[in-house]
Amino acid sequence: MRTGKLVRLARGNVVRELPALAVSAGGVALGIGCLVFFLALGAGLKRVVNDVFPVSTREVEVVVPSLAIGNILGEQKLDETIVEKLRKIRGVSAAYPKMQLRIPAVTRYNGLFFGREIHMGLEIVGVGLMPELVGTDAHAPFEDAGEGKPVPVVVNRRLLELYNKVFAPQRGLPTLTDTMLIGFQIPVELGRSYVAGKTLPNATEGSLLLVGFSDRATLAGVSLPLAAVRRINARFGADAETYSSVLLRAQSADDVSNIAAAVKRMGLEIDETERSRALQIGAAVELVTLALSLLAALITGLAAINTMQAFYASVRERTREIGVLRAVGATRGDVAAIVLAEAAVTGLAGGVVGVVLARIAAVLLDRLARTGLPDFPFKPESFFHFRVTHIAVGVAVALAAALLGAFLPARAAARLDPAKALTES
Amino acid sequence: MNAILLRGVKKRYPPREPGLAPQELLSGVDLEVKRGEFMAVEGQSGSGKSTLLHLLGGLDREFEGEAQVLGCDLRALSDAELAALRHTQIGFIFQSFNLLPALTALENVLLPDYFGSGVPDAERRAMEALDRVGLADKAKAKPAALSGGERQRVAIARALVARPPLLLADEPTGNLDARTGEGVIALFKELHADGMTLLIVTHEARVSHAATRVLILREGRLGPEDAQHSMETL
Ligand SMILES: Nc1ncnc2c1ncn2[C@@H]1O[C@H](COP(=O)(O)OP(=O)(O)O)[C@@H](O)[C@H]1O
Ligand SMILES: [Mg+2]
Repeated sequence: MRTGKLVRLARGNVVRELPALAVSAGGVALGIGCLVFFLALGAGLKRVVNDVFPVSTREVEVVVPSLAIGNILGEQKLDETIVEKLRKIRGVSAAYPKMQLRIPAVTRYNGLFFGREIHMGLEIVGVGLMPELVGTDAHAPFEDAGEGKPVPVVVNRRLLELYNKVFAPQRGLPTLTDTMLIGFQIPVELGRSYVAGKTLPNATEGSLLLVGFSDRATLAGVSLPLAAVRRINARFGADAETYSSVLLRAQSADDVSNIAAAVKRMGLEIDETERSRALQIGAAVELVTLALSLLAALITGLAAINTMQAFYASVRERTREIGVLRAVGATRGDVAAIVLAEAAVTGLAGGVVGVVLARIAAVLLDRLARTGLPDFPFKPESFFHFRVTHIAVGVAVALAAALLGAFLPARAAARLDPAKALTES
Repeated sequence: MNAILLRGVKKRYPPREPGLAPQELLSGVDLEVKRGEFMAVEGQSGSGKSTLLHLLGGLDREFEGEAQVLGCDLRALSDAELAALRHTQIGFIFQSFNLLPALTALENVLLPDYFGSGVPDAERRAMEALDRVGLADKAKAKPAALSGGERQRVAIARALVARPPLLLADEPTGNLDARTGEGVIALFKELHADGMTLLIVTHEARVSHAATRVLILREGRLGPEDAQHSMETL
């Protein structure tokens, strides 16, 4: 029996049995709708988590273990020789040392700020980064121009988000975009602190020039070119040799565990705070997605049982017809194939409807979130992320559920004795 | 050469109630039908005519004895081989027509084309078969819109579409009035004239009259017609 003919015969039967099979297909659609909805929600939430805590699977941040500081083995220092050693670890493709600005600094801003008169004084925390790390996130050269010149800085994109969603609304300040801010210059006083007694004797004035926003930038403060931090630290007599951390980039994600082990052997540590937070939240999202998907699978399972009942009834009703098919040349296998093809059509219809339902539900929910929820940091355009794999999984599970449900009825149909089937009244 | 050869064929059904003896419906049937013969089998209701026909048509394999149809030993064939035999070699006609109500007349006639390796040039042959039974103009009609005689003629067209050499019919005129029955009998005569082998089960004398040979199924055995037990006297 050829597939084309089989499908034609099955399609005719499905159309005829539509009312009964619509219930089965509806059940499958409900289960698959839930499944695809939850999978897309899980992926969407994961994407939000990745936005909030962008972690690379290929990068680790090396720090001096807190316990090792002043430890009897002697102080472990992240200096140039250690960085060279880190670079030589197998699987490391690049090492980017970072250095904390080790002197106090403040900014004072009195004047117009995008149309509003503001008076602001802030302590500045700064970290020096290698320009390669910031790359094209900087829209002007991210390089130390030397004493007396404005120092370029990049700011973490997440800080802008927090400013726009939390800080600005509370203070009636304007919402800002990155293009508005790039090129903005603020005066700083290096060596000065608002904290009494911290100001250094030779404090100088200068300015910071915002050149871009980057996920690479520190969350605590602003990021300056490494050379500028080294220069400023040296100028005030602070430590300009030791790095505060080193970012290691692995050749591939598989190398990360080996690199971590080598780093430990060197008496250093890997800073896991961001990564483990992201991993924890990611795991929580995954767990909830899994639980909800299991619920959806349960609904799909019930739909499969419903499909089984519908097909048992359909086979019983068509006993005589099955006898006729056998009489005109159908084998047992043909009869089973017809029933399974009908189930496949039912399952596919259910799967497609389920996917469509999930998408509609997601659109409605996103619309509700857009209008009904207050604006919060990292509020996404959509809480859902429909991947092609979700849709494929949905349709495949629908097909599998329907075929599984129809398996026993198909076998019963194939096993019907044709002579008996034909004498059935 | 024989189209059908039965030797000592027995068929038992399990007892109606536990404790009773099994019912032996066929108790040693011998039958030889030559190719091209038009054979009628008579017998009272419940004598096992349908059972015999299902057995000959490869629809029932649970019997004892030897059964050959068109040179094939029925008991030696696999499910697929038996299906192929039914598909290409045997046309089957039922008392109650057994058309699929959802399909049109033409689609019903095309049913054998769905199975095995199909029917070559199926559409044209199906129209020819419908034309042969005088229903070319009803090709698009559903069974519900057809009269009893028309339905049976569609069923005959379906049995003919694969051009099988052997036609088995189970009381084909049983549900038809006298006039439409005559039309069906005339068609059988034509098919016989074309060289087809026919085995028609009936308890109607007018069908038997058209046949070249008549046998009676009685007490589980096939025997020649005789005046004493002839259906006409009953
Ligand atoms: N599957 C079956 N199980 C038990 N008995 C059966 C079965 N099929 C037929 N019979 C018995 O066989 C007899 C009828 O056989 P059948 O071949 O239909 O006779 P006919 O066609 O001559 O009227 C009935 O008495 C019925 O009880
Ligand atoms: Mg009968």
